[in-house]
Amino acid sequence: MVKLRINNQPIEVAEGTTLLEAARQLQIAIPTMCHMEGSGHFTSCMVCLVKDVSNGRLMASCSMPAMEGMEIITDDEECRESRKASLELLLSEHVGDCEAPCQLVCPAHMNIPLMNRLIAAGDFQKAIEVVKRDIALPAILGRICPAPCEAGCRRKSIDGAVSICLLKGFAADEELEQDFVPATPKAPSGKKVAIVGAGPAGLAAAFYLNRFGHQTVIFDKNGEAGGELLHLDEALLPATIRKKEIDRFIKAGVALQLNKEVDAALFEQLKADYDAVVLAVGAQALDWTQLGLTTSKTGIEVDKSAYQTSAEHVFAIGNALRPSKLAVRSVGQGKELAFILNEYFEKGKVSAYPERFNSKFGKFQENEIQEYLKESVELERQEAGRGKAVGFTRDEAVAEAKRCLHCDCRNPESCQLRNLANDFGAVQKRFQYSERLPVRKEFAPQGIVYEAAKCIKCGICVRLTQQHQEEFGFSFIGRGFDVKVGVPFSESVEKALTKTALLVAEHCPTGALSKTEIEEQL
Amino acid sequence: MTDDVQHIISKVDEIVREKGNTKRALIPILQAIQNTFNYLPEEALRRVCETTSITPENITGVASFYSQFRMQPAGRHMIKVCVGTACHVKGAMQVYDAFKRHFKLKEGEETDASGSYTLEKVSCLGCCTLAPVVQVDDVTYGHVTTDKVDSVIQDFESQVGKVGDKRKFRHADGREFQGEIRIGLGSCCVASGSEEVKKEVERAIDGTGINLHLKNVGCVGMCHQVPLVEVVDEQAQHKLYARVKPNEIPDIIHAHFKPKGLVGKLKAKAYDWLEKMQTDEVWEGVDRYAIDVREEMVSSFLDRQLPIATEHRGVINPLDMDEYKRFGGFDALKQVLQMEPSEVIQTVKESGLRGRGGAGFLTGLKWKFVAREKGEKKYLICNGDEGDPGAFMDRMLLESYPYRVIEGMLIAAKAVQATDGYFYIRAEYPLAVTRIRQALMNCREQNLLGANILGSDFNFDIQIYEGAGAFVCGEETALMASIEGNRGFPTIRPPFPAQRGLWGQPTLINNTETFAQVSYIIRRGKEHFAGIGTEQSKGTKVFSLAGKVNRGGLIEVPMGITIRQIVEEIGGGVQNGKKFKAVQVGGPSGGCIPASLYDTPIDYQSLIEVGAMMGSGGLVVLDEDDCMVDIARYFLSFTQEESCGKCTFCRVGTKRMLDILNKITSGKGTLQDLEELKYLAEWTKKGSLCNLGKSAPNPIITTLQYFYDEYEAHIHGHCPAGKCTEMIAYSINDECIGCTKCAQKCPVEAIRFEPHKKHEVIVDRCIKCDACRQVCPVDAVEIISNKQE
Repeated sequence: MVKLRINNQPIEVAEGTTLLEAARQLQIAIPTMCHMEGSGHFTSCMVCLVKDVSNGRLMASCSMPAMEGMEIITDDEECRESRKASLELLLSEHVGDCEAPCQLVCPAHMNIPLMNRLIAAGDFQKAIEVVKRDIALPAILGRICPAPCEAGCRRKSIDGAVSICLLKGFAADEELEQDFVPATPKAPSGKKVAIVGAGPAGLAAAFYLNRFGHQTVIFDKNGEAGGELLHLDEALLPATIRKKEIDRFIKAGVALQLNKEVDAALFEQLKADYDAVVLAVGAQALDWTQLGLTTSKTGIEVDKSAYQTSAEHVFAIGNALRPSKLAVRSVGQGKELAFILNEYFEKGKVSAYPERFNSKFGKFQENEIQEYLKESVELERQEAGRGKAVGFTRDEAVAEAKRCLHCDCRNPESCQLRNLANDFGAVQKRFQYSERLPVRKEFAPQGIVYEAAKCIKCGICVRLTQQHQEEFGFSFIGRGFDVKVGVPFSESVEKALTKTALLVAEHCPTGALSKTEIEEQL
Repeated sequence: MTDDVQHIISKVDEIVREKGNTKRALIPILQAIQNTFNYLPEEALRRVCETTSITPENITGVASFYSQFRMQPAGRHMIKVCVGTACHVKGAMQVYDAFKRHFKLKEGEETDASGSYTLEKVSCLGCCTLAPVVQVDDVTYGHVTTDKVDSVIQDFESQVGKVGDKRKFRHADGREFQGEIRIGLGSCCVASGSEEVKKEVERAIDGTGINLHLKNVGCVGMCHQVPLVEVVDEQAQHKLYARVKPNEIPDIIHAHFKPKGLVGKLKAKAYDWLEKMQTDEVWEGVDRYAIDVREEMVSSFLDRQLPIATEHRGVINPLDMDEYKRFGGFDALKQVLQMEPSEVIQTVKESGLRGRGGAGFLTGLKWKFVAREKGEKKYLICNGDEGDPGAFMDRMLLESYPYRVIEGMLIAAKAVQATDGYFYIRAEYPLAVTRIRQALMNCREQNLLGANILGSDFNFDIQIYEGAGAFVCGEETALMASIEGNRGFPTIRPPFPAQRGLWGQPTLINNTETFAQVSYIIRRGKEHFAGIGTEQSKGTKVFSLAGKVNRGGLIEVPMGITIRQIVEEIGGGVQNGKKFKAVQVGGPSGGCIPASLYDTPIDYQSLIEVGAMMGSGGLVVLDEDDCMVDIARYFLSFTQEESCGKCTFCRVGTKRMLDILNKITSGKGTLQDLEELKYLAEWTKKGSLCNLGKSAPNPIITTLQYFYDEYEAHIHGHCPAGKCTEMIAYSINDECIGCTKCAQKCPVEAIRFEPHKKHEVIVDRCIKCDACRQVCPVDAVEIISNKQE
């Protein structure tokens, strides 16, 4: 047995135990990527460095055996910096998008490719579920949104962007046509939120707050919910659609107090009676300073990352901050604020809406569209034959959804590289000094895609295919920075992974090898 | 099946039969395949997998790891442009570019359109004193400049297919001994034409009756003067002739020795006359080149030195076993055979000998660690994978003192009870491999290897393993991985090789030079050895002194000698009266020591204190014309290419540091880039897995430390040394005499052919190849900065 101390905790382990294993016995978490139980250590990614106090040296805990009398620190500033540095180096050559450009551009951050795949597969029910994770009013927005997402679509400059907006409207309409089944409400949290304004921002905030189980009351000066939406042309947004979509979620448990103008007195009362007050009043010419709020040139001033105004537990979203024609922005802010408030109620502290790490590589280079077309179809952009206000037929929708290039990564949740980059605040661009690798997609049985440009050269797949005695398997090819993981000789990935395709995809610490048919985000 | 494929299969089967059918035979199999086909055809590799236990993953990983292996057919002849440190500072890249232009190679192309020549860069041919060096097949050309490319190719083509001189050397026939002619046969000498000189001596004395003992000796160390011929005449007077050309031989010989008899005299005269008729070269006369050993220049080169590893340099014939024995060779082994292993280890330990491979671990202690381990087998490896692009002492020791290295290995093997030995020798050192192979055979014949060595109960044999081109294989765990038939990936230590080394058995790995010093310690006693050098660094160290120094070569000096003493006294100062700027010590793992630290003593500790390290022992002298940012960039491009590609910090870190240095040397750098460079240097040092990565930032760290102002100047768009091509322009000043030489040499017509007029450089066309400057007889071509400070 060997005695040592890790983060000042004594532990005794069997000889040959690695520092990582010893730390795990003490419930001390050390991140790893190239490490995989039972496949022998490889020591390549270097995110598991820990410090030997006796000499200050950093060493890879995944492979360094514990030795008598060692004094190890796993999480001081230097260890954390080492993880950040190695992650930033890995990211500098990691060519891939965690999320598709369309999703990144969408102010509500909707998961567009996932929706497209579900529509293409005919699973409209799941498709609308996915849409509603981010967009509270999809039938409405499906008609009125100027679709900034489509400007971000990589197909735009080639044969027209995917008609995302109509697809979203289609998914929403499919649901609206079904009988309404109110979702089983979450157990009430006991928290109450007053929302002032029943426009897109207020409605969206109410929608998600209600989902979280918080009691929500909307106050609006008009006799009908909708705010700015009420002024839209019938040809653009039929009133029936508007009413139907708003009514449904009001019915799901949101209280609505109409014809109620909020003045200083009511405002004070709301502040006193509710756990939080949300101002979603639109671009009103009110003097908010009289109500004790600081304002900017454009509207109510908030801390942009948490929508908090200068008054305690008073928040503001939508056009109240800055006039905008983008309803989808207001809707997105409503969703974000609901999340922020939910966290606030749970933790008692307002914190910023979490920004997730996103790997991005920007524009396609020459021929890269060909790689993406391997998962798509060559087809011109579909128009809605019945007009935009009516929307796509099922056939049109499925055909259009198939045009999606699936720019997003299929491992966005399980990707260790992304998660660690998030945890350690790594910046991808920091060391991107030279040209990136071209994107190549190769497919293997069981719906596995291999994208070498995302590979972090951890060698797990090389070890696994070796262990399982694949005839060809994967091999390291070349050396130095140019080393790549590929298939021996001129064989295909298909030939390489005759029995281990699923296995290697499951163990790939990033999205280089991933499953295209099983959505981990569902 | 086509005939081609059938041919490949039968050849491969033959090779596999000879080399073996397991993974350990992999690299030798690949080397044999490449020797046969000049590249590795995929059909051949597939056949290997079919007939051996080697997997496609294994063969692909290994074949693509080592730089020796080619996946595409090469031209009929290989041109290797050495881009080692010494060659680099003397313009190797411009030479490389000139060859590219000569063969009209586009970006990414290596072989010319006719398939005759393949051009490649090699990291070091180990002939640093002849820099820049180019090898065409097995012919080595030294001092190649951009304007000599055509003549190199011409000369090579005139040699192709030429049948060698069949005349045999006339052995001493027992008549009176007149004298001795010693000809250096180290790689530098051979590269500079010593073989030709040797043949010429044989020819010159043939039939003249002159009774001469013609003797081959190993490297004399004065590589700056090669080929060297030393004549010992009847009065035992020594005279050294430097840079001897074959056509000068008859005169040298006749200056010392008189032909016997009238016929001989006549023949000699006729021969001389004929010879001069046949060659239309202007003969420069011998005297200019004659060096008297007593001359100050020579004595200062030799006097400061203390040969231990290179004992009897220039005297003994590398492969003459009897001579080695006459000088006390194998006495130490005989002594050790009578000693207890622990006693041997104690002696070596107390002598203070530290590993000469770079890190300086106490040798005796390492031996002790191996000795105390139990194993089914115990391996001993001589690390001759000298990958530092500016060092060649392992090569020279292996070529010139094979028995001494073998003796050291035998002593170590006896001390640690090793059973099997390996010579791991770099692929780029064919001569060393040949010599060692022969030496091992001779040793077996003399019962110095094999069973019951010299009648004792000690059994030990050594085999040669040729590296396949990977700097990282100098790292001991990577070296062992390579012998086992794997990619040269280092692994974490512990376990140390002493505990679990080659094939999981206890293994002793020492550097070639370390082994070369062992017999001396045993023979002369530990106290004697410990009396040399400094408190912490005992004995001597062999260095290859190259770069901008007057007398480069291989030197062996006592530890503690200062850099100034080496450069000024042994090296004779900086070439062409330029100012000393820095010395690069220890290659890619070392650092640049500036003029302000000229008096730094050379020992393990002092070098680390100034940010360098002993490393392999390359000493490259830099002068005022060398750009320190370019030097850092040069080393990073080396380590980046040589990184094994395993751990993130080295694999990506070296690449990003190189990116930043490229940005800075092209004039696009910012102060922020400098900060990022420092950050990456710090983290690559701290975070890398093995010592290659950990030491890779040293050239950056030391140049940032001592030459920060040069980095800043680059940020401001100015290269103070006028090296970084994107920041300079060529211009012709009023000294121009209108001789048109530059216009004739210019490969891109950037200088108009206008006789007797002052020439001008058309800046837009100029590719900055430096050809005009080199050819100008009056130094009228200047380099000017694009941006004046």
